[in-house]
Amino acid sequence: MVKSNNSIQSDLGKAKGLGSAHTGTHHWLMQRVTAVASVPLVFWVVYSIFKLQGADYAAFTTWLASPVNAVLSILFVLNSFYHAMLGNQVIIEDYISCRWFRMTKLIGMKLFFIALGVACIFSILKISFAGGM
Amino acid sequence: MAKFILPKKSKVKKGEKFDADHDGDNTKKFSVYRWNPDEDENPRMDEYNINLDECGEMVLDAIIYIKDNVDSTLTFRRSCREGICGSCAMNIDGRNGLACLTPINEIKGDVKITPLPHMPVVKDLVPDLNHAYAQYASIEPWMKTDSPAPTRERLQSPEDAQKLNGTDGKGPSGCILCFCCSTSCPSYWWNPDKFMGPAVLLNAWRWLTDTRDEAKGERLDQLEDPFKLYRCHTIMNCTNACPKDLNPAKSISEIKKLMVERHS
Ligand code: SF4
Ligand code: SF4
Ligand code: FES
Repeated sequence: MVKSNNSIQSDLGKAKGLGSAHTGTHHWLMQRVTAVASVPLVFWVVYSIFKLQGADYAAFTTWLASPVNAVLSILFVLNSFYHAMLGNQVIIEDYISCRWFRMTKLIGMKLFFIALGVACIFSILKISFAGGM
Repeated sequence: MAKFILPKKSKVKKGEKFDADHDGDNTKKFSVYRWNPDEDENPRMDEYNINLDECGEMVLDAIIYIKDNVDSTLTFRRSCREGICGSCAMNIDGRNGLACLTPINEIKGDVKITPLPHMPVVKDLVPDLNHAYAQYASIEPWMKTDSPAPTRERLQSPEDAQKLNGTDGKGPSGCILCFCCSTSCPSYWWNPDKFMGPAVLLNAWRWLTDTRDEAKGERLDQLEDPFKLYRCHTIMNCTNACPKDLNPAKSISEIKKLMVERHS
């Protein structure tokens, strides 16, 4: 239901609101691109976990130190967090109708995923470079 | 935030019972939503038991029968009684549809009738559609051209006309603006202030796909918005609800395709 407010505004004025934000297509497209990209990446992760079953810390770090595995891991992290961020944005936009709360949550959520992503990539690089030595 | 508990005054209560079956053996119970803005009461479901041999075969016939013979205060919209004006849209047995196109005998058990979901109610079965109409007006649903007007009608090839009418007659120009689709869409329920809803987007597509129209860029500009267009998550309730068998979900996908196309 459209919230009533006390100001007298025409129905058309309310419907037009502040007009279009001229964004959304990039978000929509990227959501699909990252979804498709996650298919091979998830297969690779599952396969790797399967292969590394029972491996000790040294075996795991050596595995991660290989350039191919490090690059694929970073891609997996970037793709997953970017996809999760886009998805969370949709949920927040869908269900939080208070404008300022929505904006704050959106910014907070994005910062959270960026921080998490950077931390993951830093860890991968650290292990990768240390293990390579 | 979404509210999970209904305000006190909107809890639907049990209403009155009217027995008007006249001892017939072909009877049916209609349970109808009633709310009067002039009374400070909760909405209620009134029950009317009527004799089907005395009224026509559609749900609208039964509602008209009730108004004429049982309870003249029952309020609803109707005009054409043949599925073309869109005014008798309501929720019948849990589904949005046109009362004039819904046969009574297709409904098993009692017939439960409520107004279109999630719209403010004016009275009984009459929803307030002013905002939805204003959203429709906001997409400027008329032909916009820059070329000077021809001295005769604007020509279109039969193939181009088919984009509007559909090869099966179910193209976007068949929309009767009943809003059965928009009021069945969860995204429209949550964000009706900004999301255009399937009915309006289907009509936006109707102009975007009209080869005579010259304002496609402008129309797409106005729609490219996380809320106006992209609240649609292809849940498909709209297509499922449309009493004219149109496909608003597909129209919306076509708009999204155009959005991507002009970026590439
Ligand atoms: S397809 Fe889109 S418009 Fe249709 S019901 Fe789903 S979300 Fe709503
Ligand atoms: S698309 Fe169908 S359900 Fe929606 S307003 Fe048009 S006729 Fe009604
Ligand atoms: S009365 Fe016109 S559509 Fe039902």
